[in-house]
Amino acid sequence: MALDQTHTTLAVILCVLCLAGCVQAVPPDLLVALEAIDQDLIALRAPEAAPEEYRQFVRQWVALKARVQLDDDLIRWPWEASDLENELRRLYITSERTVSQLHERQASQHRTAQATVARLEEQLHAITSRVEAIDGRILLGERVVQTDLLVKQARSFFEQKDFQRAMHAAEKADHALKAQTALLSQELGRYADENRIAYWQTMARQTIEWSRIHQSTAIVVSKADRELILYKSGRRVLSYPVRLGFNGMLEKQVQGDGATPEGRYRVTDKRGQGQTQFYRALALDYPNAEDRRRFNYAKKSGRISPAKGIGGQIEIHGADNELLARTLGCIMLDNPNMAMLFEGVSVGTPVTIVGALTRENAVALALSELAQRRNQI
Amino acid sequence: MLRTASLVSLALTLIMIAGCAEPPTQEIQEAEKALKDAQESGAATYSAEEYAKLEGTLTTLRKEVTDQDGKFSLFRDYGKAQQLSASAKADSERIKTAATLKKEEAKAAALQAQQVAEEAVKATQDLVAKAPVGKDRAAVEAIRNDVDGLKSLLKQVQVSIDKEDYPAAQTQAKAIHDMSQGVSTEIQNALAKVGKGRPARKR
Repeated sequence: MALDQTHTTLAVILCVLCLAGCVQAVPPDLLVALEAIDQDLIALRAPEAAPEEYRQFVRQWVALKARVQLDDDLIRWPWEASDLENELRRLYITSERTVSQLHERQASQHRTAQATVARLEEQLHAITSRVEAIDGRILLGERVVQTDLLVKQARSFFEQKDFQRAMHAAEKADHALKAQTALLSQELGRYADENRIAYWQTMARQTIEWSRIHQSTAIVVSKADRELILYKSGRRVLSYPVRLGFNGMLEKQVQGDGATPEGRYRVTDKRGQGQTQFYRALALDYPNAEDRRRFNYAKKSGRISPAKGIGGQIEIHGADNELLARTLGCIMLDNPNMAMLFEGVSVGTPVTIVGALTRENAVALALSELAQRRNQI
Repeated sequence: MLRTASLVSLALTLIMIAGCAEPPTQEIQEAEKALKDAQESGAATYSAEEYAKLEGTLTTLRKEVTDQDGKFSLFRDYGKAQQLSASAKADSERIKTAATLKKEEAKAAALQAQQVAEEAVKATQDLVAKAPVGKDRAAVEAIRNDVDGLKSLLKQVQVSIDKEDYPAAQTQAKAIHDMSQGVSTEIQNALAKVGKGRPARKR
């Protein structure tokens, strides 16, 4: 009887030992850790930002989870090796490394995108102010707002932490900025062209010489520097700042283009108080024979639409509104300066309007700065 | 004796036939179709992590079927494959619904942003229409140019919406709205400077 009891007790102890010695197929904390890795990857936007890495992790994780569920009711001895646990541990180590790499990559992408977008905004700001300074905004047409849109999109994607799209938009904005500066160089390149400047210098010199020979008054206007210079008997006596057409830096082609014409003109009429809405005005003989010849040639060669007119009524005038920054093509002076000019000029006075008088003119300098910026983009 | 042997062999044959499990072909096909449906609903974009998991389940399912196919017929067990295909189907429905909802939300947000941008551009255009037509138009000529640009940018928003790239459409529309407001302010300032317009003159 006592022996039976001893056997029973031993058997129970053995069973308890056996049960205590058995462990679950996979430690639950390992599964929790892998779930946490999955959450980390999602928080790092790995499914979108690093789809291949995430797909690889998920493929293994899903397969192992399925095996865990299947082996859920299995137990093993503590000394028994578990392939499943080993694979889960390997996945944990690999994916922990992936998380850390993604962290680093994202931080690096964040830095790069932040620097790129900030640089782009700075470039846009600088280029825009240079473009404004040389009246190039109209010349660039819709490109200005298109580029602005891309820069704003880059900023927007950056703020949404979508660095890939931010960089993509930034890249497009870069191209757009380059295209803008290239177009400006192409359209206004004549202000940096030595031959053209030499031609303009000759025109101005001849006008000054005329003034000297005829002991008379003459006017030279430099569009690039927005300056009107008054000569008397070949001597420079006064100079005034001027405002030009809203597209003033271009050569006048057609009516309404906002360009200020270039060429040799004469004052055809003096309009005093009550005869002009612009305080005082000196009417010029635009279009002259040379302008007409150029216009007809451009029309014949198809560069100008047949429906377009050559325009007219170009004047040197005062300001009806002091706040008005630009004209439709005329040359505008502040009223006190206009009053002085008006007194010193008579009908027949030659007025030579040129692009620039020096190589270091404002437009050439702005173009050179833009070209430098273009290389930095 | 012979009769007993025949009965035993018949019983063995029956057991073998009964023991040869078949792969759940239909369930697998349904799971594959469910994955395709989820993808077509935009799940890869709008429920990227869940879609990746669904893809993972399908990969596991395919591997499981291949593993079982490679076993001796008596030992094949497609129970796990059946479980996986059932789970893939159920998940796919859920992901599809979630993705569709998220996509609709993104679309609605993009359309709303587009409308706001269109209204802003329209308001800017109206302001330009009020601008002077005479010599003072020089003040707003450059701005007019920008408004034309904004109008054509609105087309880009529509292109993004047509391509179902709603995040891009939304950022474009928001930028256009901001730019439009900037241009409106510029026009108002210019109008304040020049006052009423006068008749146009030839230049």
